[in-house]
Amino acid sequence: MGQSQSGLGGPGSGGDKGKKGDKKDKPKYEPPPQPTTRIGRKKKKAAGPNAAAKLPTIYPTARCKLRYLRMQRVHDHLLLEEEFVENQERIRKTKASASQAPTSAAGDSDAMDRNADERSRVDDMRGSPMGVGNLEELIDDDHAIVSSATGPEYYVSIMSFVDKDLLEPGASILLHHKSVSVVGVLTDDADPLVSVMKLDKAPTESYADIGGLETQIQEVREAVELPLLHPELYEEMGIKPPKGVILYGAPGTGKTLLAKAVANQTSATFLRIVGSELIQKYLGDGPRLVRQLFQVAAEHAPSIVFIDEIDAIGTKRYESTSGGEREIQRTMLELLNQLDGFDDRGDVKVIMATNKIDTLDPALIRPGRIDRKILFENPDQITKRKIFTLHTSKMSLAPDVDLEEFIGQKDDLSGADIRAICSEAGLMALRERRMRVNMADFRSARESVLKTKSEGEPEGLYL
Amino acid sequence: MAKEDDKSRVQDKGKGKADDAKPENGINGANDATKDGKKDGDTGLPATEELSEEDQKLKDELDMLVERLTESDKSLYKPALEAIKTSIKTSTSSMTAVPKPLKFLRPHYEKLGEAYESWPAGEEKDSLADTLSVLGMTYSDDEDRRDTLKYRLLAPSNSDDIGSWGHEYMRHLALEIGQEYQQRLDDDKDVHDIRNLVMGSIVPFFLSHNAEADAVDILSELEGIEQIQKHVDENTYARVCLYMVSMVPLLTYPDNDRFLRTAHDIYVRFNQLTQAMSLAVRLNDMELIKSDFAATSDKALKRQLAFILGRARICIDFEGEDADDVELQECLNNTKLPEHFKSLAKELNVLDPKIPEDIYKSHLESSRTAGLTNTDSARHNLASAFVNAFVNAGFGEDKLMLVEGGVKQSWIWKVKEEGMISTAASAGMIMLWDVEMGLDKIDAYTYVPEEQIKAGAALAMGIMNSGVRLDSDPTMALLGDLEGKSQPHKLACIMGLGLAYAGSNKEDLLEILLPLVTDTSLDMETSAMAALSLGFAFVGSAQSDVSEAIIQTFLDEDRSTQLKDKWTRFMTLALALLYFGQQEEVDVVLETLKAIEHPMSKPASVLAEICAWTGTGAVLKLQQLLHICNDHIEDKDEEEEGDKKEDGEKRDVSGDQLVQAYAVIGLSLVALGEDVGQEMVLRQFGHLMHYGEANIRKAVPLAMGLISPSNPQMKVYDTLSRYSHDNDIDVAINAIFAMGILGAGTNNARLAQLLRQLASYYHRDANALFMVRIAQGLLHMGKGTLSISPFHSDRSVLSRVGAAGLLTVAVSLIDNPKAFILGDNHYMLYWLVTAMNPRFLVTLDEDLKPLQVNVRVGQAVDVVGQAGRPKTITGWQTQSTPVLLGHGERAELEDEEWICLTNVMEGICILKKNPDWQSP
Repeated sequence: MGQSQSGLGGPGSGGDKGKKGDKKDKPKYEPPPQPTTRIGRKKKKAAGPNAAAKLPTIYPTARCKLRYLRMQRVHDHLLLEEEFVENQERIRKTKASASQAPTSAAGDSDAMDRNADERSRVDDMRGSPMGVGNLEELIDDDHAIVSSATGPEYYVSIMSFVDKDLLEPGASILLHHKSVSVVGVLTDDADPLVSVMKLDKAPTESYADIGGLETQIQEVREAVELPLLHPELYEEMGIKPPKGVILYGAPGTGKTLLAKAVANQTSATFLRIVGSELIQKYLGDGPRLVRQLFQVAAEHAPSIVFIDEIDAIGTKRYESTSGGEREIQRTMLELLNQLDGFDDRGDVKVIMATNKIDTLDPALIRPGRIDRKILFENPDQITKRKIFTLHTSKMSLAPDVDLEEFIGQKDDLSGADIRAICSEAGLMALRERRMRVNMADFRSARESVLKTKSEGEPEGLYL
Repeated sequence: MAKEDDKSRVQDKGKGKADDAKPENGINGANDATKDGKKDGDTGLPATEELSEEDQKLKDELDMLVERLTESDKSLYKPALEAIKTSIKTSTSSMTAVPKPLKFLRPHYEKLGEAYESWPAGEEKDSLADTLSVLGMTYSDDEDRRDTLKYRLLAPSNSDDIGSWGHEYMRHLALEIGQEYQQRLDDDKDVHDIRNLVMGSIVPFFLSHNAEADAVDILSELEGIEQIQKHVDENTYARVCLYMVSMVPLLTYPDNDRFLRTAHDIYVRFNQLTQAMSLAVRLNDMELIKSDFAATSDKALKRQLAFILGRARICIDFEGEDADDVELQECLNNTKLPEHFKSLAKELNVLDPKIPEDIYKSHLESSRTAGLTNTDSARHNLASAFVNAFVNAGFGEDKLMLVEGGVKQSWIWKVKEEGMISTAASAGMIMLWDVEMGLDKIDAYTYVPEEQIKAGAALAMGIMNSGVRLDSDPTMALLGDLEGKSQPHKLACIMGLGLAYAGSNKEDLLEILLPLVTDTSLDMETSAMAALSLGFAFVGSAQSDVSEAIIQTFLDEDRSTQLKDKWTRFMTLALALLYFGQQEEVDVVLETLKAIEHPMSKPASVLAEICAWTGTGAVLKLQQLLHICNDHIEDKDEEEEGDKKEDGEKRDVSGDQLVQAYAVIGLSLVALGEDVGQEMVLRQFGHLMHYGEANIRKAVPLAMGLISPSNPQMKVYDTLSRYSHDNDIDVAINAIFAMGILGAGTNNARLAQLLRQLASYYHRDANALFMVRIAQGLLHMGKGTLSISPFHSDRSVLSRVGAAGLLTVAVSLIDNPKAFILGDNHYMLYWLVTAMNPRFLVTLDEDLKPLQVNVRVGQAVDVVGQAGRPKTITGWQTQSTPVLLGHGERAELEDEEWICLTNVMEGICILKKNPDWQSP
């Protein structure tokens, strides 16, 4: 921060002018009336003071030389900036080392000591423990009304070392435990629940681990990945890229698997959430979570939001007296708004997955919110073969194994069933301490899987 | 090259995928049919079992066809080739994937290549080359191969229908052509065949398929943009020209000129003379302007062209029958401007004069300071005079100066000495443009015994006459005679002449003013002012007489004592103004200045350079200017220590300081006119403020003001408002002034509030308060109907005169505001007049009678390179003319009853009845 006070007649470290000005003014002559407009209010508008630091958006989005030239211009300017700042820093350093005057901010080690010293002093002033409160209102540059979690509101002073640019009404702040003065700002106010949804480690499943589903992969990629990678293609065509897709189909047909592959493949932020997570204990928490989810997504744009089991909240609306039911419906309404509401979502794509598309609210899956509905069907013969090869490729098979037998049979097998057959066969071989899986294992595995399958659920539920 | 990037990304993606997939699962499953990995084909046969039936069939068929081609039976060649071609052309697939036939044919590529070599020349061979060219696309990972182009050039006969291979192929071809062309240029090889290919088929294809951008791009790669004229037709020319014109600010010297000229020629060809004219003005090519003017015989159109020229303050002499057309002359001379302006004022209901208190709104200022301010000091009254002048500018009516009781009752007696000059001159501002009426009113002030008031009246004449011309030329008659006048009077006359004839290139002025520049017996003040006036009159003309005279002055022995005078800087500025927008041409004078041993020669050369490159956005110039700002920082050190040393040394440093300050101003001037650079340079200012010494910091707020005059962007005034509380009072004052410039003529409420707060903050500091008042006056300039933005015609054309006015005021404030504006020479502020223009849209019929029509006014949208026919404005409101146009706003006619003669609806437009219109 602006701690290194330069002694050379005040030039150089013009760091935080506003703040420095405040510091200097006070001892000298009467404090002038502080302009109160600047701090505390300006953050509300998105443009804010940081807008100047943002890079301009480049139009047109179509690929052409004009775009290239404009980007290059931005690049050139950034190079100029870099050069200038580097030079200045170098000059400042040589100046500091040349004049080892006691007043100057001096050499590196010295400065470091001072910084550490100052930091510890600031820590002393902050005290410990610190309370966490909420900033209600800024009165002037030095005072604010805060409320703590316990209830009462206080009129307190703001410590001078707090970065006032970060203060805005509604911010979480650190309060001194005795004087309740503001000693710090907590910047990240997104719900921790939401940050958990962010996928840090990509899943290992890639497109290659999906047997078949060519058309589905293609559709998802066109609707989700391509708009993020090549928005200009859509621009050239003069259409808006799709906002989201819904994957639907019988259980075990690879909906979630495909989403995992997308997450594995994309460099965009991938947020995943299960529909049931959005149902919260307290009133209003669910919709808030949805809002925050999309806010985080927009902050980290380009991003992909994957909502699994959307039927948990997305069922058709109906007259209901139960409060819980109504809350769930409100959560869905918030989701509707986030998907295609008043604000433009920008580079956020949504993938939803369900196996009961017919129960979903028609408003949720109308074009504009969800532009593509992708059906996942049970595999046909060729796909079955692919899935079998996929799953058996790492198994050690006895030479007598002929998978064609299973592929040729007219069982109603889903991808998950096939996987189950393979692992079941493996388990059987394991049970008998064999090193290889033979055909008999597969046969009995198939029997058992089919048996449990027909037992588990009544026939004809899924069309 | 953008394309190149895109391309390689697509391919990389494909490649990466296949490569990733293979090690992971270790099977050939990666060769999945939908995978777009182009390497997939390499592995060939093992993958076959995975193919679906149709795929297998297709593959077998293609294999068979290829087999036939490699066999010796020539009769089968042709049908086989045709079959391959058809299968390629008919295949469709995902955007992300390679069409299947291409994929299956890929393993056979080498074989086919060999076959091609062995075949005898003939139709079949060409046809095979054609096919190979398409297949070559799949080998594009390999940078140096460029097979597509190679085989394309080998198959000339078919080149008519290469478009049938599809868009992707054409783009790929264009990419390879770009690369090949560069390489051939490096190797000094013939490029004739490439050129023919491009001209013959690629460009027409792009143009007919809505890819104007690609057509322009490929031609600009081949350095043959002029050729595009041959191919455009009435459907495509508008988009092509728009694209070309928006590229201009980003191109380097010879290219940008060629682009503009080509676009101009296209416009002329399609009879869009108004657009052609604004490009001609932008090129500053008098011959072009004249030829455009002569290109039509339509009277109304001619008048419209004259209006455009009048807005740009360019005067030409009419030839033939035009010379006798009085009305046409009036259009060019802006004679009717006050009339139109007042009609706008009437429409907006702002005719009533305002007094300064209406602007200050001191009842809204924080109450504890009320009463503390000395509201009746001469200085305060002077500020009020300025505010009154700016606010009522052009309305011809006010409550301070032109009051009923005549001169005796006027405000002029409330100010002292030098203040009287500015106060009397403010009458001219109120009567702005309205010379006929104004002469009487100002005349009254010339009979007052006080010399200062006489001087002020002279200046008022000049101000009033700024931007309009009369045949009778009363200003020249009244101000031209300098004999026997007192010093201030003389000075005011000189300045008045400069204001009245800014940009006119009037030879008569040379006779009057040039002797004053060269006469060494005069003091620097007079000479510098004379030079400056000449600079304005001949702005951007590189007039050799004037520049020689000024350089002579620098060399003159007798002058050397005066060169330390604060007025010298205007001498250098005058020299710089002569080369306004001349770009390369300025090098001559820079070389000369290098040779001169003179403390001011360095600042002069920097000024000349920034003037020459104003509005170009040239990054190299920006870099030079930044280097100036950083190299000299060591000198500053010495200066600080050197405070105790002798005077001589200190002076040298002050010259360098001025250089740096000019460089900062230059950053903003050069970056003007190119949106991206304009935004980026704002970031630069932050760094300059951070690291810069006092001299740089003083210039930064001014530069920020110059970058967006009359365009109050929040991010700029937020920063300026912070600077306006700076410890260095000069920085603060400059920041306040910059806030005024930023909001000039907009009535921006937020800025007004900020300024009111500043007024109560600085109520004890007379200088700062004076500046706050001026800024308030600027903000409400013309009651919010004027603009000082130097750009016009849809923000594309830079008005030299306007930019010069802004620059002059900035230079007078740059290192020490107390030297001029806050000192005795506050009338330097009136140079701003040259930049003032009403920001209105007035519609006239063909007989120049005012016409009321409904227009939609909304935010302008940049539609370059967008598909279809996007709307050019957004968020519009329908109003009836005359209307105000804010910065970045555009107007369009509501219905098609009328046709506007110019496509940029701005300023004064002539409408024509649409013959095909039927009322609904």
